[in-house]
Amino acid sequence: MTAIVELRQVSKSFGNLKVLKDVSFDVQPGEVHALLGENGAGKSTLIKIISGVLHPDEGELRVVGEAVRLASPREARGRGIATVYQELLLFPELSVAENIYLGHAPRTRWGAIDWPKMRSGARALLDSLDSHDLDVDTKVGLLSVANRQRVEIAKALSQEARLLIMDEPTAALADSDARKLLTIVRRLRDRGVGIIYVSHRMQEIFALADRVTVLRDGAFIATKPIGEVTEGSLVSMMVGRSIDQLFPKTETARGATVLELRNVSHREIVRNVSLTLRAGEILGIAGLIGSGRTETALTIFGITPATSGEILVDGKPVVIDSPAAARALGIAYVPEDRGLQGLVKPQTIRENISLAIIDRLARLLLIDRRREGQLARESIARFGIRARGPEQLVRQLSGGNQQKVVLAKWIATEPRVLIMDEPTRGIDVGAKAEIHALMSKLAGQGLAVLMISSELPEVLGMSDRVLVMRGGAVVAEFDRADATPDAVGSAMTAAGQSSLEGAA
Amino acid sequence: MSFDVMQSRPSFPRRLLGFVEANGQEAIILAAIILLFVVVGVVNPRFLGNSNLTSIFSGNAYIAVAAIGMALVIISGNIDVSVGSLIGVLATIAGTLAVNGYPIIVCWLAPLAVGVAINAFVGFLVAYVRIPSIVVTLGMLSVLKGGLISATAGAWINNLPPEFMLAQFRPFGVPAPIYFMVTLTLLAALWMRYSGFGRTIYAIGGNPDAARVTGIRIERSIVCVFMIHGFFAGIAAVLFATQLQVIQSTVPPNLELTVITAAVVGGVSILGGTGTVIGSTLAAILFAAIGSALIFTNVSAYWLRAVQGLFILATVLADMARRRRLR
Amino acid sequence: MTIRSFLRHETILLLLLVIALIVLAQQSDRFFTTDNLLNQARLMAEVGLLALPMTFVIVTGGIDLSVGSIFGLAAILLGVFWHGLGLPLPLAMALAVLVGGIAGLGNGLIITRFNVPPLIATLATLALYRGLAEGISQARSVRGYPEWFFVLGQGEVLGLPTQLWFLLAIAIAAAIVLGLTTFGRTTYAIGANEVAARFSGLNVARTKLLIYTGSGLVAGLAAVIFVSRVSTTRSDMGTGLELDVITAVVLGGTSIFGGRGTIIGTLLGLILMQALKSGLALGGVKGDGTIVVIGVVLIAAILLGNLLSRNGDG
Repeated sequence: MTAIVELRQVSKSFGNLKVLKDVSFDVQPGEVHALLGENGAGKSTLIKIISGVLHPDEGELRVVGEAVRLASPREARGRGIATVYQELLLFPELSVAENIYLGHAPRTRWGAIDWPKMRSGARALLDSLDSHDLDVDTKVGLLSVANRQRVEIAKALSQEARLLIMDEPTAALADSDARKLLTIVRRLRDRGVGIIYVSHRMQEIFALADRVTVLRDGAFIATKPIGEVTEGSLVSMMVGRSIDQLFPKTETARGATVLELRNVSHREIVRNVSLTLRAGEILGIAGLIGSGRTETALTIFGITPATSGEILVDGKPVVIDSPAAARALGIAYVPEDRGLQGLVKPQTIRENISLAIIDRLARLLLIDRRREGQLARESIARFGIRARGPEQLVRQLSGGNQQKVVLAKWIATEPRVLIMDEPTRGIDVGAKAEIHALMSKLAGQGLAVLMISSELPEVLGMSDRVLVMRGGAVVAEFDRADATPDAVGSAMTAAGQSSLEGAA
Repeated sequence: MSFDVMQSRPSFPRRLLGFVEANGQEAIILAAIILLFVVVGVVNPRFLGNSNLTSIFSGNAYIAVAAIGMALVIISGNIDVSVGSLIGVLATIAGTLAVNGYPIIVCWLAPLAVGVAINAFVGFLVAYVRIPSIVVTLGMLSVLKGGLISATAGAWINNLPPEFMLAQFRPFGVPAPIYFMVTLTLLAALWMRYSGFGRTIYAIGGNPDAARVTGIRIERSIVCVFMIHGFFAGIAAVLFATQLQVIQSTVPPNLELTVITAAVVGGVSILGGTGTVIGSTLAAILFAAIGSALIFTNVSAYWLRAVQGLFILATVLADMARRRRLR
Repeated sequence: MTIRSFLRHETILLLLLVIALIVLAQQSDRFFTTDNLLNQARLMAEVGLLALPMTFVIVTGGIDLSVGSIFGLAAILLGVFWHGLGLPLPLAMALAVLVGGIAGLGNGLIITRFNVPPLIATLATLALYRGLAEGISQARSVRGYPEWFFVLGQGEVLGLPTQLWFLLAIAIAAAIVLGLTTFGRTTYAIGANEVAARFSGLNVARTKLLIYTGSGLVAGLAAVIFVSRVSTTRSDMGTGLELDVITAVVLGGTSIFGGRGTIIGTLLGLILMQALKSGLALGGVKGDGTIVVIGVVLIAAILLGNLLSRNGDG
């Protein structure tokens, strides 16, 4: 059988960073091929090459046996390759039917858009996805995430996709919706569609995939039939080094409770979250995207202030209605999206590091440039930021060094509570270990650290305690000793729900 | 329409909501127009007199025509603050050609061609050179306005040949501009709904990133939108140039704001991605009627612009509230 | 890096300015007279005043299209307060400036409270404020101001036009605030990445509110000076003024996308623009011809800025 898509020895670099090294990969018709790897392993780059967004520097891309150079996503689609993106690319102001058929709407004899045909076509496609309740005339902006995703899938099918790329499709879905999606994926496979399936959820991969390919640091590790691997062997292939090296966790003495949340809620997104955080401890929060972990952090940090419940700092109730208020209470937040929320990229390292304490550096409103420069130089040394100097622009730094700048900015505020949201997303393994070491050291100096991560190994490797969130609420808590991948993983997802609640 | 809604009982509320969502702005404006005519007509019956109605509808048709093009520009996520100057320039070109004895058809078509050409350049700067449309058109505003006044030295154009006076024709007793307004509005509305390019404009304004990944050629489409806008400005200019016996060779004061207001208040979201041209035409009529009503109710017409400003502000705030719900 | 690139832009501007001045001096021996230079300074004071807060506005990534309308509204209300309501003139002047501030605050509130993009918010208030000016004045002008009032717009202090002192004082204050203070740093951070500024605990909304209010206040002040210069009040005052102001700022190297710009640059842009205008006037080009040049200069400045920043990206 000819593979729908085949990559042969493909490499790709961005500047000096080689993100894909000699990777080979193929998808057969009627196959679900799972793609695994940590963040930054090269999965997105691989997907982007197949979907025509990026071009390989070296190697060959074959579509149904023919070597091609895909000039654009448009051309990839013309060859039957469709992508359901992680951030769904739909048009909120247009109707469901229009979104499905945008760019290839059925026409009448005079070339006008054939609305009745478009609507009935959309209806048929959605019906084939078991989405009978989805109205084709609704504006997409009014739909839930799960329904938007179905629209995306219908859109791919409307273009007669032979290969469907699904990037973390269940990451933002509720459990019942996720199960429904799996059914849809199986049905597509039975129709002969090839599917590249990227997911962090091991259970889904074992339930769905025919083969699995693991990438690490841009390199191809292995492609195996699903029957030949176990969860454990996959994780060790993904991580590739001993846990101790990557997660230099040191035992520290835990001090007094610094931060406490009592039944804190924000609208429907954060629901009755209670937790305590003590000096010197790293508290990990595990959970899927949309489980309320980042949202809880944003509530503690005053971006989305609590709508009910109580937050206590040092045992005293406080009101945190802005990041400035949080900062004044000694709470720091290293955000999830470094580029958008963490850094002012066109500015210098000096200006970024001083940003959160700029008023403290001012004398009579004038910024003390000498002290600012000194702070920047000290931070560069202390955090091992590799840069030409304080005046280098932040956007010229690598991901890992950028993250250190964000960390330096917040440590400059001398916080007591440090929230780190996805502390190592999108940075290479070496820098990861450095960030972990810094985190461990800071906790050792008595800082209370709240760490949020999608990467289970990171949560398990770094945390003294682990909280698991689902649907905006805390659903489980583990001590370091009890926090096994199985226990935490099943608490995060649907499968564990019944057993957990049964046990409770 | 309402029968349709009534028949599908189970989803009636949702459909009604959808209907209001889709056509609400148009319906509200239409109701406002009717209400205005009734109230002012009672206060001063001469308001409903033939000559006043003609002046409201026919005299402002060129604004409605220009607002169609503006609606497209705004739906695509851009703006044009130079349209008033453009219309002034194009009207003067038409008049100058007419006075110098060029064939009438040339006098009528030349403004369209020049309008398309000028706006092709504007679109090029916006789409390919990536200068924000507000800056390009702000610059164009002064280039066109200054160019017009220095070229004509403010002289009026008189002695226009009678056969040139397109706006004064009255086929079947109805002034020609009204035919233009109605036909162009309907054609544009159909085109926006049934042509692939029409839907593309909505897509670009609604989510440019997604449009790019979907394979829409954004740059080319934006240039086209500006060219179409120039075409409508050309028609508007001919109607404007031919409705009086003289052409003043100046830019009608604040025309660009009136046109933008009509498009925005007509339901075109100023952030792009949504709106219809029927709404913008209705809004143009509404403002013409308000202006006239101020006079007929002895309120000073000098308040007209303040009313326009309030309308834009109210519409924009309502639009922001609506968007918050949609995301 | 950033400082160097600022300097580069300003050096180019300075060079251009020197060339323009040399050409002008060659063309007409009337140009390089003290009288003419001081007169030019007088003429550019209003635009210059407005360009200072506009630099802040554009550095935050915003724009204020309503300054011309606020200017007109404040001018009208000065006449109304003094002539219509019979208030003492100094009080009327203070109130006119205050009205400008309130109008600017209105912009700021619409922008920060309702998240309306500045372009759209100020386009709406451009119509609204101008409409109020027209409605209130009913197109009647106010004249007959007392003699002392004209000191502001037509008089001299220590040999320099009075308004030039205002311009210099506010320019120095603005340069210090933007370049050296926490407020200025916050302004740049907002323009370069508003979300990151907010996530760093900076008070984004308050900063913007203050900037737009300041823009209105200065527009009010400029209006009072303008009325004093031309001895009369009319409702169409300041129409199209926003174009000159934005052109001066953008010509001065402030990025229309926010995050970059200096007060020195704005002042150089302002002087260059005034030199152009004056040169065209001396060359026999009428007032309306000069606005063509301003439009072209605006587009060309941004084009050049785009090219420069693209080169400097690597």
